[in-house]
Amino acid sequence: MKEFYDAMAMKRALTRITYEIVESNKGTQDLVLVGIKTRGVYLARRIADQLQKLENVQVPVGELDVTNYRDDRRPDTAKENLRLGVDINDKRVVLVDDVFFTGRTIRAAMDAIMDQGRPKRVQVAVLVDRGHRELPIRPDFVGKNIPTSMQERVKVNVSETDGQDSVVLIKQGELAQA
Amino acid sequence: MKRYLIMEDGSIYEGEGFGADVQTTGEVVFTTGMTGYQEAITDQSYANQILVFTNPLIGNYGVTLDDFESLQPQIKGVICRQVARIPSNWRMQDTLPGFLEKMNIPGLQGIDTRELVRKLRHFGTLRGRIADSITDADSVVKELKRQNPTKGIISQVSTKTLYPNPGTKRNIVVVDFGAKHSILRELAKRDCNTIVVPYSTTAQEILNLHPDGVLLSNGPGNPEEMTAAAEMVAEIEKHLPVFGICMGHQIFALANGASTYKMKFGHRGFNHPVRDIASGQIVFTSQNHGYAVDPASVDKEKLMITHVEINDGTVEGLRHRQYPAFSVQFHPDAAPGPHDADGLFDDFISMVDQRKEARTNA
Repeated sequence: MKEFYDAMAMKRALTRITYEIVESNKGTQDLVLVGIKTRGVYLARRIADQLQKLENVQVPVGELDVTNYRDDRRPDTAKENLRLGVDINDKRVVLVDDVFFTGRTIRAAMDAIMDQGRPKRVQVAVLVDRGHRELPIRPDFVGKNIPTSMQERVKVNVSETDGQDSVVLIKQGELAQA
Repeated sequence: MKRYLIMEDGSIYEGEGFGADVQTTGEVVFTTGMTGYQEAITDQSYANQILVFTNPLIGNYGVTLDDFESLQPQIKGVICRQVARIPSNWRMQDTLPGFLEKMNIPGLQGIDTRELVRKLRHFGTLRGRIADSITDADSVVKELKRQNPTKGIISQVSTKTLYPNPGTKRNIVVVDFGAKHSILRELAKRDCNTIVVPYSTTAQEILNLHPDGVLLSNGPGNPEEMTAAAEMVAEIEKHLPVFGICMGHQIFALANGASTYKMKFGHRGFNHPVRDIASGQIVFTSQNHGYAVDPASVDKEKLMITHVEINDGTVEGLRHRQYPAFSVQFHPDAAPGPHDADGLFDDFISMVDQRKEARTNA
Protein backbone atom coordinates (compact mmCIF):
# COMPACT_ATOMS: atom_id res chain seq x y z
CA MET A 1 0.00 0.00 0.00
CA LYS A 2 1.42 3.36 -0.99
CA GLU A 3 0.33 6.72 0.33
CA PHE A 4 0.02 9.28 -2.43
CA TYR A 5 -1.38 12.16 -0.42
CA ASP A 6 -1.12 12.85 3.26
CA ALA A 7 -3.57 15.10 5.09
CA MET A 8 -1.67 18.33 4.28
CA ALA A 9 -1.36 17.49 0.58
CA MET A 10 -5.04 16.64 0.40
CA LYS A 11 -5.92 19.94 2.03
CA ARG A 12 -3.82 21.82 -0.48
CA ALA A 13 -5.31 19.91 -3.40
CA LEU A 14 -8.83 20.77 -2.25
CA THR A 15 -7.87 24.43 -1.85
CA ARG A 16 -6.51 24.45 -5.36
CA ILE A 17 -9.72 22.89 -6.68
CA THR A 18 -11.70 25.54 -4.82
CA TYR A 19 -9.75 28.37 -6.46
CA GLU A 20 -10.14 26.75 -9.88
CA ILE A 21 -13.90 26.42 -9.45
CA VAL A 22 -14.14 30.14 -8.73
CA GLU A 23 -11.89 30.99 -11.66
CA SER A 24 -13.72 28.76 -14.12
CA ASN A 25 -17.15 30.06 -13.11
CA LYS A 26 -15.99 33.66 -12.84
CA GLY A 27 -17.21 33.74 -9.27
CA THR A 28 -19.74 31.86 -7.16
CA GLN A 29 -22.99 33.08 -8.67
CA ASP A 30 -25.53 30.24 -9.16
CA LEU A 31 -22.95 27.72 -8.01
CA VAL A 32 -24.22 24.42 -6.57
CA LEU A 33 -21.98 21.60 -5.36
CA VAL A 34 -23.30 18.06 -5.58
CA GLY A 35 -21.34 15.38 -3.74
CA ILE A 36 -21.54 11.81 -4.98
CA LYS A 37 -22.04 8.80 -2.72
CA THR A 38 -20.44 9.07 0.64
CA ARG A 39 -17.01 10.57 0.27
CA GLY A 40 -17.84 12.97 -2.52
CA VAL A 41 -20.34 14.57 -0.17
CA TYR A 42 -17.71 15.25 2.51
CA LEU A 43 -15.33 16.67 -0.07
CA ALA A 44 -18.11 18.87 -1.46
CA ARG A 45 -18.86 20.15 2.03
CA ARG A 46 -15.20 21.00 2.55
CA ILE A 47 -15.09 22.93 -0.71
CA ALA A 48 -18.25 24.80 0.30
CA ASP A 49 -16.61 25.59 3.64
CA GLN A 50 -13.56 27.03 1.91
CA LEU A 51 -15.75 29.13 -0.37
CA GLN A 52 -17.49 30.46 2.71
CA LYS A 53 -14.15 31.51 4.22
CA LEU A 54 -12.81 33.00 0.99
CA GLU A 55 -15.81 34.63 -0.59
CA ASN A 56 -18.23 34.84 2.32
CA VAL A 57 -20.95 33.03 0.37
CA GLN A 58 -22.99 29.98 1.30
CA VAL A 59 -22.87 27.65 -1.69
CA PRO A 60 -25.59 24.95 -1.49
CA VAL A 61 -24.36 21.37 -1.23
CA GLY A 62 -26.50 18.52 -2.55
CA GLU A 63 -26.01 14.80 -2.05
CA LEU A 64 -26.40 12.23 -4.78
CA ASP A 65 -26.83 8.50 -4.48
CA VAL A 66 -26.48 7.24 -8.04
CA THR A 67 -27.05 3.52 -7.39
CA ASN A 68 -30.27 3.51 -9.40
CA TYR A 69 -28.59 5.00 -12.43
CA ARG A 70 -25.54 2.77 -12.58
CA ASP A 71 -25.09 0.59 -15.67
CA ASP A 72 -23.15 -2.13 -13.94
CA ARG A 73 -25.43 -3.02 -11.05
CA ARG A 74 -29.02 -4.04 -10.91
CA PRO A 75 -31.26 -1.12 -9.95
CA ASP A 76 -32.93 -1.46 -6.58
CA THR A 77 -36.44 -0.18 -7.22
CA ALA A 78 -37.00 0.44 -3.53
CA LYS A 79 -34.33 3.16 -3.48
CA GLU A 80 -36.19 5.91 -5.30
CA ASN A 81 -35.11 8.95 -3.39
CA LEU A 82 -31.95 10.62 -4.64
CA ARG A 83 -31.71 12.90 -1.62
CA LEU A 84 -30.44 15.68 -3.81
CA GLY A 85 -31.78 18.37 -1.54
CA VAL A 86 -30.95 21.31 -3.80
CA ASP A 87 -32.51 22.95 -6.83
CA ILE A 88 -30.30 22.60 -9.89
CA ASN A 89 -32.41 24.40 -12.48
CA ASP A 90 -30.39 27.04 -14.30
CA LYS A 91 -27.51 26.53 -11.86
CA ARG A 92 -23.83 25.88 -12.37
CA VAL A 93 -23.50 22.40 -10.95
CA VAL A 94 -20.16 20.99 -9.87
CA LEU A 95 -20.28 17.25 -9.26
CA VAL A 96 -17.74 16.24 -6.63
CA ASP A 97 -16.37 12.74 -6.25
CA ASP A 98 -13.27 11.24 -4.70
CA VAL A 99 -11.90 9.08 -7.56
CA PHE A 100 -12.49 9.29 -11.29
CA PHE A 101 -12.00 5.90 -12.94
CA THR A 102 -14.12 4.57 -15.82
CA GLY A 103 -16.42 7.58 -15.84
CA ARG A 104 -19.56 5.51 -15.35
CA THR A 105 -20.37 6.97 -11.95
CA ILE A 106 -20.23 10.48 -13.36
CA ARG A 107 -22.43 9.47 -16.33
CA ALA A 108 -24.94 8.04 -13.85
CA ALA A 109 -24.69 11.26 -11.80
CA MET A 110 -25.35 13.40 -14.86
CA ASP A 111 -28.43 11.33 -15.72
CA ALA A 112 -29.66 11.69 -12.16
CA ILE A 113 -29.10 15.46 -12.26
CA MET A 114 -30.81 15.87 -15.63
CA ASP A 115 -33.87 14.05 -14.29
CA GLN A 116 -34.17 16.74 -11.64
CA GLY A 117 -34.12 19.70 -13.98
CA ARG A 118 -31.98 21.61 -16.42
CA PRO A 119 -28.73 23.01 -15.04
CA LYS A 120 -26.98 25.90 -16.80
CA ARG A 121 -23.74 23.99 -16.73
CA VAL A 122 -22.29 20.79 -15.22
CA GLN A 123 -18.64 20.37 -14.24
CA VAL A 124 -16.80 17.59 -12.47
CA ALA A 125 -14.31 17.93 -9.62
CA VAL A 126 -12.39 14.92 -8.37
CA LEU A 127 -9.58 14.49 -5.92
CA VAL A 128 -7.90 11.75 -7.95
CA ASP A 129 -8.04 10.79 -11.62
CA ARG A 130 -6.69 7.25 -11.95
CA GLY A 131 -7.09 6.82 -15.70
CA HIS A 132 -8.78 3.92 -17.59
CA ARG A 133 -11.64 5.94 -19.00
CA GLU A 134 -14.42 3.85 -20.58
CA LEU A 135 -16.69 6.73 -21.61
CA PRO A 136 -15.92 10.07 -23.31
CA ILE A 137 -16.16 12.01 -20.06
CA ARG A 138 -13.34 13.91 -18.39
CA PRO A 139 -13.10 15.80 -15.10
CA ASP A 140 -12.77 19.61 -15.10
CA PHE A 141 -10.93 19.92 -11.78
CA VAL A 142 -8.47 17.30 -10.67
CA GLY A 143 -6.47 17.14 -7.46
CA LYS A 144 -3.94 14.67 -8.78
CA ASN A 145 -3.51 12.32 -11.71
CA ILE A 146 -2.35 8.92 -10.51
CA PRO A 147 -1.59 6.46 -13.29
CA THR A 148 -2.71 2.99 -12.16
CA SER A 149 -2.97 -0.53 -13.44
CA MET A 150 -6.22 -2.47 -13.41
CA GLN A 151 -4.86 -4.60 -10.57
CA GLU A 152 -4.59 -1.60 -8.30
CA ARG A 153 -7.19 0.28 -6.33
CA VAL A 154 -7.16 3.90 -5.26
CA LYS A 155 -8.77 4.63 -1.92
CA VAL A 156 -9.45 8.09 -0.61
CA ASN A 157 -9.78 8.27 3.16
CA VAL A 158 -11.71 11.15 4.67
CA SER A 159 -11.56 11.83 8.37
CA GLU A 160 -15.36 12.00 8.63
CA THR A 161 -15.74 8.27 7.88
CA ASP A 162 -12.25 6.79 7.81
CA GLY A 163 -10.59 8.53 10.72
CA GLN A 164 -7.87 10.18 8.63
CA ASP A 165 -7.28 12.13 5.44
CA SER A 166 -5.16 10.38 2.85
CA VAL A 167 -5.07 8.90 -0.62
CA VAL A 168 -3.60 5.42 -0.88
CA LEU A 169 -2.85 3.01 -3.68
CA ILE A 170 -3.61 -0.62 -2.89
CA LYS A 171 -2.32 -3.51 -4.97
CA GLN A 172 -4.60 -6.48 -5.61
CA GLY A 173 -4.34 -8.95 -2.79
CA GLU A 174 -3.11 -6.42 -0.26
CA LEU A 175 -5.30 -5.60 2.68
CA ALA A 176 -6.47 -2.02 2.94
CA GLN A 177 -5.28 -0.87 6.36
CA ALA A 178 -7.61 1.44 8.21
CA MET B 1 38.88 50.36 14.27
CA LYS B 2 36.12 52.69 15.50
CA ARG B 3 33.09 53.09 13.31
CA TYR B 4 29.83 54.94 13.83
CA LEU B 5 26.20 54.76 12.81
CA ILE B 6 24.67 58.20 12.46
CA MET B 7 20.86 58.15 12.34
CA GLU B 8 18.60 60.76 10.82
CA ASP B 9 17.10 61.49 14.24
CA GLY B 10 20.53 62.67 15.39
CA SER B 11 21.46 59.63 17.45
CA ILE B 12 24.94 58.19 17.09
CA TYR B 13 26.05 54.65 17.84
CA GLU B 14 29.74 53.97 18.33
CA GLY B 15 31.15 50.54 17.65
CA GLU B 16 33.87 48.58 15.98
CA GLY B 17 34.10 48.27 12.21
CA PHE B 18 34.57 45.07 10.23
CA GLY B 19 34.28 44.18 6.57
CA ALA B 20 35.02 46.81 3.92
CA ASP B 21 36.44 50.19 4.78
CA VAL B 22 33.78 52.34 3.11
CA GLN B 23 31.21 54.85 4.28
CA THR B 24 27.66 54.26 3.17
CA THR B 25 24.13 55.59 3.51
CA GLY B 26 20.98 53.55 3.60
CA GLU B 27 17.59 52.88 5.07
CA VAL B 28 18.14 51.16 8.42
CA VAL B 29 16.03 48.02 8.85
CA PHE B 30 16.19 44.98 11.09
CA THR B 31 15.68 41.26 10.68
CA THR B 32 14.86 38.76 13.39
CA GLY B 33 16.13 35.56 11.80
CA MET B 34 18.69 33.72 13.88
CA THR B 35 20.58 32.15 10.96
CA GLY B 36 20.89 32.68 7.24
CA TYR B 37 22.89 35.91 7.41
CA GLN B 38 24.63 35.25 4.11
CA GLU B 39 21.31 34.73 2.30
CA ALA B 40 19.95 37.89 3.90
CA ILE B 41 23.03 39.95 3.04
CA THR B 42 22.96 38.84 -0.60
CA ASP B 43 19.17 39.28 -0.92
CA GLN B 44 18.70 42.15 -3.36
CA SER B 45 15.52 43.15 -1.57
CA TYR B 46 17.91 44.75 0.94
CA ALA B 47 19.58 46.91 -1.70
CA ASN B 48 20.49 50.36 -0.36
CA GLN B 49 19.47 49.30 3.14
CA ILE B 50 21.57 48.84 6.23
CA LEU B 51 20.58 45.62 7.94
CA VAL B 52 20.58 45.20 11.69
CA PHE B 53 20.51 41.63 12.97
CA THR B 54 18.63 41.11 16.22
CA ASN B 55 20.50 37.86 16.78
CA PRO B 56 23.46 38.97 18.90
CA LEU B 57 26.10 36.80 17.25
CA ILE B 58 26.45 36.30 13.52
CA GLY B 59 29.18 35.01 11.27
CA ASN B 60 29.67 31.90 13.38
CA TYR B 61 29.57 29.53 10.44
CA GLY B 62 31.31 31.65 7.84
CA VAL B 63 30.06 31.92 4.27
CA THR B 64 29.86 29.48 1.38
CA LEU B 65 29.28 29.78 -2.34
CA ASP B 66 26.11 27.64 -2.10
CA ASP B 67 24.29 30.27 -0.08
CA PHE B 68 24.50 33.29 -2.38
CA GLU B 69 21.14 34.84 -3.24
CA SER B 70 22.77 37.24 -5.70
CA LEU B 71 26.33 37.70 -6.88
CA GLN B 72 26.74 41.46 -6.44
CA PRO B 73 24.78 42.39 -3.33
CA GLN B 74 23.72 46.01 -3.02
CA ILE B 75 23.18 46.05 0.70
CA LYS B 76 24.83 49.06 2.28
CA GLY B 77 25.84 47.78 5.68
CA VAL B 78 25.65 44.98 8.22
CA ILE B 79 25.10 45.81 11.89
CA CYS B 80 25.23 43.31 14.72
CA ARG B 81 26.11 43.04 18.36
CA GLN B 82 29.00 40.70 17.71
CA VAL B 83 30.71 39.12 14.75
CA ALA B 84 32.23 35.71 15.45
CA ARG B 85 35.96 35.96 15.99
CA ILE B 86 36.66 32.33 15.13
CA PRO B 87 33.99 30.96 12.79
CA SER B 88 33.90 27.25 12.11
CA ASN B 89 31.83 25.05 9.80
CA TRP B 90 32.57 22.21 7.39
CA ARG B 91 30.99 24.13 4.48
CA MET B 92 32.75 27.36 5.23
CA GLN B 93 34.72 28.91 2.39
CA ASP B 94 35.34 32.39 3.78
CA THR B 95 34.70 34.34 6.97
CA LEU B 96 31.90 36.88 7.13
CA PRO B 97 34.20 39.92 7.52
CA GLY B 98 36.39 38.60 4.69
CA PHE B 99 33.34 38.17 2.49
CA LEU B 100 32.01 41.65 3.26
CA GLU B 101 35.37 43.16 2.47
CA LYS B 102 35.41 41.50 -0.94
CA MET B 103 31.84 42.65 -1.57
CA ASN B 104 32.65 46.24 -0.52
CA ILE B 105 30.12 46.21 2.31
CA PRO B 106 30.93 47.79 5.68
CA GLY B 107 30.02 46.18 8.98
CA LEU B 108 29.54 47.56 12.47
CA GLN B 109 29.57 45.56 15.67
CA GLY B 110 29.54 46.29 19.37
CA ILE B 111 26.58 48.68 19.43
CA ASP B 112 23.41 48.27 21.46
CA THR B 113 21.36 46.57 18.76
CA ARG B 114 18.44 46.06 21.13
CA GLU B 115 18.10 49.77 21.66
CA LEU B 116 18.46 50.43 17.96
CA VAL B 117 15.77 47.91 17.04
CA ARG B 118 13.38 49.22 19.66
CA LYS B 119 13.90 52.70 18.26
CA LEU B 120 13.14 51.45 14.74
CA ARG B 121 10.00 49.70 15.97
CA HIS B 122 8.88 52.85 17.68
CA PHE B 123 9.72 55.44 15.05
CA GLY B 124 9.58 53.29 11.95
CA THR B 125 12.29 52.90 9.35
CA LEU B 126 14.99 55.55 9.66
CA ARG B 127 17.83 56.52 7.37
CA GLY B 128 21.39 56.12 8.59
CA ARG B 129 24.99 56.46 7.62
CA ILE B 130 27.93 54.27 8.52
CA ALA B 131 30.85 56.64 8.97
CA ASP B 132 34.41 56.65 10.26
CA SER B 133 34.13 59.91 12.13
CA ILE B 134 31.43 62.03 13.72
CA THR B 135 33.00 65.45 13.35
CA ASP B 136 30.47 66.53 10.74
CA ALA B 137 27.57 64.55 12.23
CA ASP B 138 25.18 67.52 12.10
CA SER B 139 25.54 68.00 8.37
CA VAL B 140 25.24 64.23 7.89
CA VAL B 141 21.93 64.25 9.78
CA LYS B 142 20.64 67.11 7.63
CA GLU B 143 21.72 65.28 4.49
CA LEU B 144 20.06 62.03 5.64
CA LYS B 145 16.72 63.75 6.08
CA ARG B 146 16.75 64.79 2.43
CA GLN B 147 17.71 61.45 0.96
CA ASN B 148 15.60 58.61 -0.39
CA PRO B 149 18.01 55.68 -0.55
CA THR B 150 15.71 53.22 -2.29
CA LYS B 151 14.36 55.46 -5.01
CA GLY B 152 14.86 53.96 -8.46
CA ILE B 153 16.67 51.02 -6.91
CA ILE B 154 15.16 48.27 -9.07
CA SER B 155 16.82 49.59 -12.22
CA GLN B 156 20.15 49.01 -10.46
CA VAL B 157 19.55 45.47 -9.27
CA SER B 158 17.54 44.06 -12.15
CA THR B 159 19.45 42.24 -14.84
CA LYS B 160 20.38 44.40 -17.82
CA THR B 161 19.87 41.68 -20.42
CA LEU B 162 17.85 38.51 -20.47
CA TYR B 163 19.64 35.32 -19.54
CA PRO B 164 18.72 31.65 -19.41
CA ASN B 165 18.63 29.20 -16.56
CA PRO B 166 18.38 26.17 -18.82
CA GLY B 167 16.30 23.14 -18.04
CA THR B 168 13.70 21.07 -19.81
CA LYS B 169 9.97 20.55 -19.80
CA ARG B 170 8.35 23.89 -19.00
CA ASN B 171 9.26 27.36 -20.22
CA ILE B 172 9.02 29.92 -17.47
CA VAL B 173 9.86 33.61 -17.73
CA VAL B 174 11.04 35.19 -14.50
CA VAL B 175 10.72 38.96 -14.41
CA ASP B 176 13.72 40.18 -12.43
CA PHE B 177 13.09 42.96 -9.93
CA GLY B 178 16.09 41.84 -7.85
CA ALA B 179 15.42 38.12 -7.89
CA LYS B 180 16.81 35.79 -5.28
CA HIS B 181 18.65 32.77 -6.62
CA SER B 182 16.51 30.56 -4.40
CA ILE B 183 13.54 31.26 -6.67
CA LEU B 184 15.54 30.04 -9.65
CA ARG B 185 16.65 27.03 -7.63
CA GLU B 186 13.07 26.09 -6.79
CA LEU B 187 12.11 26.30 -10.46
CA ALA B 188 15.15 24.28 -11.47
CA LYS B 189 14.18 21.57 -8.96
CA ARG B 190 10.85 21.32 -10.75
CA ASP B 191 12.14 20.89 -14.29
CA CYS B 192 11.78 24.38 -15.69
CA ASN B 193 13.53 25.98 -18.61
CA THR B 194 13.79 29.45 -17.16
CA ILE B 195 14.52 32.75 -18.89
CA VAL B 196 15.21 35.70 -16.60
CA VAL B 197 14.24 39.04 -18.11
CA PRO B 198 14.80 42.67 -17.05
CA TYR B 199 12.10 44.46 -15.02
CA SER B 200 11.28 46.75 -17.94
CA THR B 201 10.33 43.95 -20.36
CA THR B 202 6.98 44.54 -22.01
CA ALA B 203 4.10 42.08 -22.24
CA GLN B 204 4.62 41.61 -25.97
CA GLU B 205 8.31 40.85 -25.48
CA ILE B 206 7.41 38.19 -22.92
CA LEU B 207 4.76 36.70 -25.21
CA ASN B 208 7.32 36.56 -28.01
CA LEU B 209 9.33 34.13 -25.90
CA HIS B 210 6.28 31.80 -25.84
CA PRO B 211 6.58 30.82 -22.19
CA ASP B 212 4.18 28.52 -20.33
CA GLY B 213 4.13 30.71 -17.24
CA VAL B 214 5.46 33.94 -15.76
CA LEU B 215 6.96 34.44 -12.31
CA LEU B 216 7.32 37.97 -10.89
CA SER B 217 10.31 38.07 -8.56
CA ASN B 218 11.06 39.82 -5.30
CA GLY B 219 12.89 43.13 -5.25
CA PRO B 220 13.69 46.26 -3.23
CA GLY B 221 12.01 49.62 -2.97
CA ASN B 222 8.58 51.10 -3.48
CA PRO B 223 6.28 49.06 -5.75
CA GLU B 224 4.50 52.22 -6.87
CA GLU B 225 7.56 53.06 -8.98
CA MET B 226 6.85 50.01 -11.13
CA THR B 227 3.98 51.45 -13.18
CA ALA B 228 5.24 49.97 -16.47
CA ALA B 229 5.62 46.54 -14.88
CA ALA B 230 2.09 46.77 -13.49
CA GLU B 231 0.79 47.45 -17.00
CA MET B 232 2.75 44.49 -18.28
CA VAL B 233 1.21 42.22 -15.62
CA ALA B 234 -2.32 43.45 -16.33
CA GLU B 235 -1.83 42.35 -19.92
CA ILE B 236 0.17 39.15 -19.35
CA GLU B 237 -2.32 37.68 -16.83
CA LYS B 238 -4.90 37.47 -19.60
CA HIS B 239 -2.67 35.10 -21.54
CA LEU B 240 -0.50 33.13 -19.13
CA PRO B 241 -0.42 31.77 -15.58
CA VAL B 242 1.29 34.25 -13.26
CA PHE B 243 2.92 33.75 -9.86
CA GLY B 244 4.14 36.79 -7.94
CA ILE B 245 6.47 36.74 -4.94
CA CYS B 246 7.03 39.65 -2.58
CA MET B 247 7.57 42.66 -4.90
CA GLY B 248 5.88 40.54 -7.58
CA HIS B 249 2.84 40.22 -5.31
CA GLN B 250 2.69 43.98 -4.81
CA ILE B 251 2.95 44.65 -8.55
CA PHE B 252 0.27 42.01 -9.18
CA ALA B 253 -1.98 43.86 -6.73
CA LEU B 254 -1.29 47.22 -8.36
CA ALA B 255 -1.92 45.73 -11.81
CA ASN B 256 -5.40 44.73 -10.64
CA GLY B 257 -6.38 48.04 -9.16
CA ALA B 258 -5.30 47.64 -5.54
CA SER B 259 -2.93 50.03 -3.78
CA THR B 260 0.10 49.59 -1.55
CA TYR B 261 1.35 51.46 1.50
CA LYS B 262 4.60 51.75 3.39
CA MET B 263 4.54 49.80 6.64
CA LYS B 264 5.88 51.31 9.84
CA PHE B 265 8.82 48.98 10.18
CA GLY B 266 8.10 46.10 7.83
CA HIS B 267 8.22 42.34 8.28
CA ARG B 268 11.70 40.87 8.17
CA GLY B 269 12.39 37.50 9.64
CA PHE B 270 11.31 33.94 9.27
CA ASN B 271 8.84 33.22 11.99
CA HIS B 272 5.93 35.08 10.46
CA PRO B 273 2.77 32.99 10.85
CA VAL B 274 0.46 33.20 7.89
CA ARG B 275 -3.01 31.73 7.63
CA ASP B 276 -4.26 30.27 4.37
CA ILE B 277 -7.81 31.60 4.58
CA ALA B 278 -9.49 28.88 2.52
CA SER B 279 -8.23 25.91 4.46
CA GLY B 280 -7.40 27.55 7.77
CA GLN B 281 -3.90 26.09 7.55
CA ILE B 282 -1.13 28.04 9.28
CA VAL B 283 2.31 28.18 7.71
CA PHE B 284 5.42 29.83 9.07
CA THR B 285 7.00 32.02 6.49
CA SER B 286 10.10 33.94 5.59
CA GLN B 287 9.32 37.60 5.01
CA ASN B 288 11.17 40.68 3.90
CA HIS B 289 8.93 43.58 2.98
CA GLY B 290 8.53 47.20 3.93
CA TYR B 291 5.42 47.78 1.84
CA ALA B 292 2.13 45.92 1.81
CA VAL B 293 -1.16 45.74 -0.07
CA ASP B 294 -4.00 47.75 1.40
CA PRO B 295 -6.87 45.29 1.94
CA ALA B 296 -9.51 48.02 1.63
CA SER B 297 -8.30 48.75 -1.90
CA VAL B 298 -8.67 45.18 -3.14
CA ASP B 299 -11.41 44.91 -5.76
CA LYS B 300 -13.39 41.87 -4.61
CA GLU B 301 -14.66 41.27 -8.14
CA LYS B 302 -11.12 40.77 -9.40
CA LEU B 303 -9.05 39.45 -6.51
CA MET B 304 -9.46 37.14 -3.53
CA ILE B 305 -7.37 37.67 -0.43
CA THR B 306 -5.98 34.21 0.20
CA HIS B 307 -3.46 34.68 3.01
CA VAL B 308 -3.10 36.96 6.01
CA GLU B 309 -0.36 37.38 8.59
CA ILE B 310 -1.64 36.40 11.99
CA ASN B 311 0.25 38.94 14.12
CA ASP B 312 -1.09 42.06 12.46
CA GLY B 313 -3.54 40.98 9.75
CA THR B 314 -1.37 42.16 6.83
CA VAL B 315 -2.44 40.85 3.43
CA GLU B 316 -0.02 38.11 2.49
CA GLY B 317 -1.60 36.45 -0.53
CA LEU B 318 -3.90 37.24 -3.44
CA ARG B 319 -5.50 35.27 -6.20
CA HIS B 320 -7.25 36.42 -9.34
CA ARG B 321 -10.88 35.41 -9.63
CA GLN B 322 -10.93 35.07 -13.41
CA TYR B 323 -7.40 34.31 -14.50
CA PRO B 324 -4.91 31.65 -13.34
CA ALA B 325 -2.79 34.13 -11.45
CA PHE B 326 -1.82 34.38 -7.81
CA SER B 327 0.77 35.95 -5.60
CA VAL B 328 2.19 35.85 -2.10
CA GLN B 329 3.89 38.56 -0.10
CA PHE B 330 6.15 36.13 1.72
CA HIS B 331 8.97 33.95 0.41
CA PRO B 332 7.93 30.35 -0.24
CA ASP B 333 11.48 29.77 -1.44
CA ALA B 334 12.71 30.57 2.08
CA ALA B 335 16.53 31.02 1.85
CA PRO B 336 16.73 31.83 4.64
CA GLY B 337 13.71 30.46 6.39
CA PRO B 338 11.23 27.66 6.91
CA HIS B 339 10.10 25.48 4.02
CA ASP B 340 6.44 25.33 5.08
CA ALA B 341 5.21 27.18 2.02
CA ASP B 342 7.32 25.27 -0.48
CA GLY B 343 4.14 23.77 -1.97
CA LEU B 344 3.23 27.03 -3.65
CA PHE B 345 5.82 26.37 -6.31
CA ASP B 346 4.14 23.00 -6.90
CA ASP B 347 0.82 24.80 -7.25
CA PHE B 348 2.33 27.15 -9.82
CA ILE B 349 3.79 24.25 -11.77
CA SER B 350 0.42 22.39 -11.72
CA MET B 351 -1.23 25.53 -12.99
CA VAL B 352 1.32 25.85 -15.79
CA ASP B 353 1.04 22.17 -16.74
CA GLN B 354 -2.74 22.23 -16.85
CA ARG B 355 -2.79 25.26 -19.12
CA LYS B 356 -0.07 23.78 -21.28
CA GLU B 357 -2.02 20.54 -21.68
CA ALA B 358 -5.16 22.47 -22.52
CA ARG B 359 -3.34 24.41 -25.22
CA THR B 360 -1.80 21.31 -26.79
CA ASN B 361 -5.10 19.46 -26.80
CA ALA B 362 -7.16 22.36 -28.08
